[in-house]
Amino acid sequence: MGTIELLMQGFAVALTPESIMFALIGAILGTLIGALPGLGPANGVAILIPLAFSLGLSATSSLILLTSVYAGAMYGGRISSILLNIPGDEPAMMTCLDGYPMALKGKAAEALATSAIASFIGSFIATIGLVILAPILAKFALKFGPAEYFALFALAFATLGGITGKNQFKTIIAAAIGLMIATIGIDISSGVQRYTYNNLHLFEGIDFLIAIVGLFAISELFFFLEQHAGDGLKQVALNKLKLTAKDILFVMPASIRGALLGFVSGVLPGAGASLGSFVSYTLEKKISDKGEFGKGDPRGVAAPEAGNNGAASGALVPMLTLGVPGSGTTAVLLAMLISLNVNPGPMLFQQSPDLVWGVIAALFVGNLVLLLLNIPMVGVFVKLLSIPPKYLMPIVTLIASVGIFSITGSAIDLYFMVGFGIMGYVLRKVDIPLVPVILGMLLGPEMEKNLRHALVLSDGDWTVLWSSGLSVGLWIVAAAGLLLPMVFGSILRAKMKRSKDGLVD
Amino acid sequence: MRITDRVFGVLLLIVAVAYGYEATKFPVPFGGQESVGPETFPILLSIILAIGSLYMIVKPDEDAKWPAVSMLIELGVVCLVLVLFAFGLEHVGFVLSATPAVAFLSWRMGATPVKSLLTGVITSVVIYVLFTRVLELALPSGILGL
Repeated sequence: MGTIELLMQGFAVALTPESIMFALIGAILGTLIGALPGLGPANGVAILIPLAFSLGLSATSSLILLTSVYAGAMYGGRISSILLNIPGDEPAMMTCLDGYPMALKGKAAEALATSAIASFIGSFIATIGLVILAPILAKFALKFGPAEYFALFALAFATLGGITGKNQFKTIIAAAIGLMIATIGIDISSGVQRYTYNNLHLFEGIDFLIAIVGLFAISELFFFLEQHAGDGLKQVALNKLKLTAKDILFVMPASIRGALLGFVSGVLPGAGASLGSFVSYTLEKKISDKGEFGKGDPRGVAAPEAGNNGAASGALVPMLTLGVPGSGTTAVLLAMLISLNVNPGPMLFQQSPDLVWGVIAALFVGNLVLLLLNIPMVGVFVKLLSIPPKYLMPIVTLIASVGIFSITGSAIDLYFMVGFGIMGYVLRKVDIPLVPVILGMLLGPEMEKNLRHALVLSDGDWTVLWSSGLSVGLWIVAAAGLLLPMVFGSILRAKMKRSKDGLVD
Repeated sequence: MRITDRVFGVLLLIVAVAYGYEATKFPVPFGGQESVGPETFPILLSIILAIGSLYMIVKPDEDAKWPAVSMLIELGVVCLVLVLFAFGLEHVGFVLSATPAVAFLSWRMGATPVKSLLTGVITSVVIYVLFTRVLELALPSGILGL
């Protein structure tokens, strides 16, 4: 069957009334979560996975719900960038540069609408890219043997810090911690208990959902408490929207360029959304020097937003075809797939095409829903955003706990959640990134399985890990991903910081 | 000062060594020794973590800002409240354990006592009703027995 037919089948799944309802709920929830400063997309999806799971939704429904949450959270993130000058996550930083000045000039509604349109274009173009590229990559990935997979997982960790990563050794430490947690429990292939100390609760290992919610959401609560940030921040008031077709056409070229650049950097390992939005913004500034970049040029809002969203969809390409996520949020999406018993990888496209294409179609539908929802309803979201964190954070914590409790209905999971919260707080203080920990927990079992297969086939000869041309290539990219940021990382970060500081002056 | 990284480097090194040592003590799996056993991957990990933590000790980054002792105690109390909430959940039920937990958190984040209590009561009851009646998810009703 051709790609188009498969996609049409996907739309048939995504356009049932039930699916549209879930897409709508997901889009609203996602926008809300993304808009809350400090929560961000990764947290939002993480908190909602156990809930979707315990509500007994079907795999397709949960996937549609959570992909819309994911898409919605990317939309919501820009609300706090523009109105509060606080990026929800790192890629949103570039949106602050022109978005906040626009809001200060009394054009907050225009800035939000422009970014909504740019986000839509970014996601739309990148999802088309996903449709074209994913099946090709999936076919290619069938050539991978256990040794290649092992190298690929190593590559995923090596490039996770991204080109802007600060201390590569801390990324490695984080990955090792995550992989170590993943080894707890009964070893599947030999039946030996590892690090369980005869504790019945540890036999099945530690659920990564508990770790995700603990590391992200609970540690965030501690940071809020520490910084006395309970009152929230002053936000710029919203004006009445005056957007003409001419304004939309004005930002169109910038959005399309941003979307393409973003998609490419999303697909590439290690580049990620931060680079996507950064490159899009810088290019736009170079091409059109007549504009007022940094002082509230709408193109300066459109380009990084399109880049950011393009990268988010682009990152789904390696995640769906290889099972290797490139960013924090896609790592959480991978967690969602694994908890639904869906194993991403090249076989996914052959074994459950209805599911994959349903998700891709859901992305299209979700983004359209978001665009239609966001322009008229942005005022409602802004109102909700003005609820101070001193009321919101405890409520979010409670909902997160309910979700964790509902996985097994046991309070022990909640104790673990608090433990992971403390761990997340300490790790963040020591500047050890949290995403590799999560990724380690997710990929650990697969990584070990592939290492074992490779070594059993070669009868214990470790050189099998770099004996094929493909695996050598993967190892070289992994090494480059680890070493290049040490050289270029500080330069790039200084550049991003300079353009940000330039705004404050 | 660059002491934080050194301290954590040492701690992580201890973890790495202990973890690796434990792995060598795994029982031999049924069916005899193979070229790769359950201990191979953990030993590899402990070596990687050891290298990383040695680097942290040798080349530490700048220290992060740690909060004052009073704040650390407060965070400790918050952890205790969360643990008590989890404990209470199984013994006195959802509403009775969630109300004080939410109220405490929002009070510590700067809300007035009355408003915190209101937040606690309203949130717990709404979430309880929403989850048990609408979403049909079992939450322990506890001694209230609603």
